Amino acid sequence: MTDAMKPPSAAGSDETVLLDCRGQLCPVPIIRLSKTLKSVEVGRLLKMIATDPGAEPDMKAWEKQTGNQIVSSLRDGKEFQFVVRRLK
Amino acid sequence: MDEQRPRKILYVQTYGVEAPDRMATPIYLASAAAAMDMEVGIYFTVHGPTMLRKGVPESVHVKKADGEGALIGHFLDQARELGVKFYVCQPSLDLNGMTMADVIEGVEMIGGAAFNDMAVDADQVISF
Repeated sequence: MTDAMKPPSAAGSDETVLLDCRGQLCPVPIIRLSKTLKSVEVGRLLKMIATDPGAEPDMKAWEKQTGNQIVSSLRDGKEFQFVVRRLK
Repeated sequence: MDEQRPRKILYVQTYGVEAPDRMATPIYLASAAAAMDMEVGIYFTVHGPTMLRKGVPESVHVKKADGEGALIGHFLDQARELGVKFYVCQPSLDLNGMTMADVIEGVEMIGGAAFNDMAVDADQVISF
């Protein structure tokens, strides 16, 4: 990917990319995570918010299979918040 | 991940337009696997090829409890955009009175030997 193609949020700033998947059910959050992470530089972070009840096991499986890293995982009622670091 | 090479899953879809509520799940799972950086294929056999008949993806909705969901074409496009490969079984085309001319773009026709080769090569084969 050339620099010109990168969205502003991933073009070298320290800003964490935000991915809001609230209200979306399996498999949409994982698909959007995969697509969006490709626009994030390796080593940088993405914060994902989700309400899919299966989000936690899905995210753990995604981490295990892809080799990317879940830096933090929080649950507040029905809402999950994951911070992911792109390693691959 | 223990190994460097991508994991491979081959899904087998035997249902088509005769069972709309059985059409979408393999597509969802295949898309999720592709989003996990796996190499994924779907082999459409028995009635599965009817899902790939020209005109069907734009006209058949995936059933939901609260009414009609999105068109099956939306989910097929999403899967292919993620890199999922579609294969169709030649004898199953005959079974459904179809030829490759009736099949949407981007589908590869393979025979039984090629399917068995893919199955042995895959880490998992999952049939529906």
